[in-house]
Amino acid sequence: MRRKKSRQLKDKPKKSGKTVKRIPFVLVEKGRHGIEVVAANEAAQSRNIYSGLAFTDARARTPDLVFEEIDRVADRNALQKLADWMVRFSPRVSTDGNDAIVMEITGLDHLFGGEAKLMERIRACLQTNGYISQIAIAGTFGAANALARYRINIGDVFVSQLGHEKQDLADLSVKALRLSDKTVQLLRKFGLTRIDQLYGLDRKALTRRFASREAADAVVLRLDQALGIRHEPIKPVIAEPEWAMRMSCPEPVAAQDGVEYALDHLLSQLCHKLDMHGVGARDFCLYAFGVDGKCSHISASSASAVRDANHIRRLLKEHVETINPGFGIDLFMLSAARIEGLDHDAKPLAADMVGGFDEEAFIRLADRLAVRLGEKAVQMPIFHESHVPERSESFSQFATHLMEARSLSRAMGPRPLRMFEMPEHVEVMAEVPDGPPARLIWRRVMRKIVRADGPERIAPEWWKLSEKGARARDYYRIEDEEGCRYWIYRHGLYDDNRGGPPQWYMHGVFA
Amino acid sequence: MNVLAFIPDRSESSKVLPLKAEEEAVFPFGLGQKGLHECAEKNYGDMSALTGFVLANIEPKSAILWVKQYKFVQEHGRALPSGVELFNNKKSHWMHVVVSKPIDALWAIEEGLKSSALDLVIGEVEEADFTATRRLKLASERYGVPVVLLMPHTREGISACDARWRINSQPSAFNSYDAKALGSPCWRVVLERCRSAPSRAGEAFNLEYDDEALSLRVAPYVATGSVAPQEISSVKGQTEKIRQNG
Repeated sequence: MRRKKSRQLKDKPKKSGKTVKRIPFVLVEKGRHGIEVVAANEAAQSRNIYSGLAFTDARARTPDLVFEEIDRVADRNALQKLADWMVRFSPRVSTDGNDAIVMEITGLDHLFGGEAKLMERIRACLQTNGYISQIAIAGTFGAANALARYRINIGDVFVSQLGHEKQDLADLSVKALRLSDKTVQLLRKFGLTRIDQLYGLDRKALTRRFASREAADAVVLRLDQALGIRHEPIKPVIAEPEWAMRMSCPEPVAAQDGVEYALDHLLSQLCHKLDMHGVGARDFCLYAFGVDGKCSHISASSASAVRDANHIRRLLKEHVETINPGFGIDLFMLSAARIEGLDHDAKPLAADMVGGFDEEAFIRLADRLAVRLGEKAVQMPIFHESHVPERSESFSQFATHLMEARSLSRAMGPRPLRMFEMPEHVEVMAEVPDGPPARLIWRRVMRKIVRADGPERIAPEWWKLSEKGARARDYYRIEDEEGCRYWIYRHGLYDDNRGGPPQWYMHGVFA
Repeated sequence: MNVLAFIPDRSESSKVLPLKAEEEAVFPFGLGQKGLHECAEKNYGDMSALTGFVLANIEPKSAILWVKQYKFVQEHGRALPSGVELFNNKKSHWMHVVVSKPIDALWAIEEGLKSSALDLVIGEVEEADFTATRRLKLASERYGVPVVLLMPHTREGISACDARWRINSQPSAFNSYDAKALGSPCWRVVLERCRSAPSRAGEAFNLEYDDEALSLRVAPYVATGSVAPQEISSVKGQTEKIRQNG
């Protein structure tokens, strides 16, 4: 059984209190035809002011209308935050448009004592946070969405019995099917205003009436989705955790040590569970759900699967102070993702017995460095089959599967000890044909070359598209009067007809 | 059950035993083996020579952490694995950390020392005050992991390090196959300060790296006492000792 719940929020008149409610209040926005009303509260609606009305008309109807400009970015952020917080009820939560949240409640209503009780609980939770809601439960996302928005009034709830979507949607306007204004207008021209009028229509006949294929498809698709003929998955705001542990607090926790206690408690439970199943995880995330409708989280990743509570605690504690208890936290959730098999293995008694290399400690160190300095900061060398120096050896983010990779053993010329990220252009003073220059200027200093050997020619990889028109490089090892040894190359041959005369570049320094 | 007695306690075995007095007083005075050593450029641009000198001195290690400030990567490039292999042909496990601030680099070095996973920490740090170097020295001694800091030519002033070296690049050795080509790399190394042998501070060494035997040797023209300017006249005697000690 899949049950979806959609909720529309009417949170605009946030100044709660009975006197405020009676004042007609609207949010306005600059539209195509001047300033328009985009949201109206109950008092305003009772005076026939609705969204889409020109603001001048609204003012004419109610001279004492209170208005404010809408802040859509803040609205979206607030909705996103609320959706994060709603994860406390169900792991699959998503935002829908700018004013609704959709939640998958399949199989979890019994935890709250049934659908009606769950709905009541959500309504109450939202109300304490200043949100008035319209909640509907239905078998499909499309139906729940239509019922919450068009079937019920502000503050009401509605449960569509399983399989009753068709009847419940029957007398709603076709607008409820999430169609574009143009499509709705077209349907109205055909005399199709209610959803039940679409039920009996021949699909092919319906499609033929529309000028555009997309509009016809949209009508059929939305109808099918609402009736559950076609599946419509929701995209959760947080990736669904593979393993999660919850701890709800009898009293909201407002102190930092409470958070740390919760972390310890959840970690020991989670690690025990991971241990029982012989697995480890690489990503861990601690969510703290506040009573005030806010949710904060901290996360940490490991370079290899781990279930060592001490290690995970150390990684998560790095950021634990970013959890702001606010008015109190009443639910903690610790999730683990990227689960991998992790066998029990006997540790050697002494590091000397495994050649002095403790791989586990090495990886743990990488984790600790990455959590403080950022994942990109911890790197290891990687090797590719290529003759181009900057391509054959590079550095990538630390990962355990790369630890076995070793340098390629192939014959090549001398390589410098330090190589620049980007070859640096050098100005050549005295060019010698088919040899390194006698003098060059690099980093604004004139250097006289006294000894040199080479060249080592590295041809471009012509089979790569990005290398199209690339020029060959002739590498030389040179030494200047001061005794500094450099690796320079001439980019291009003298008669390769690939752009102007060859240029010289500094690519590395020898020891 | 007696077998267990032969297995050393792990926490103890990972520690490098303190060198004997006579070992400490010979070249390279514990560089890459014990304690905190600072190696600084003599002139801007000697960073590669410096890196080579350090890598030539360290014995093959199994796990090495190399912490660097991004500034060094920009100015002097990164150590190229195939270039490093010329100096250290044991396949070590390398972990590189790139940070932007000196304080992060110092933190990463200290974290590495404490981890019990490493044999050596190399740090490319722009600056480190007395307190920072003291912390690193104590951590290095406590956990038995040596630290080598590669520092720019501006490095001066007080420090808690065991020794400070100053290195500059020298013309390479004669190449017997091709007189015009480069030979083995040579460096001039000055031991600026040394805690284990204070009397030796100020001595200079002209070194040549033999990339076939992977060992350092005293540059021949110094050994024969010919040219090469010396800062202190006792180098000649010193070079003999280095030879004897390998």
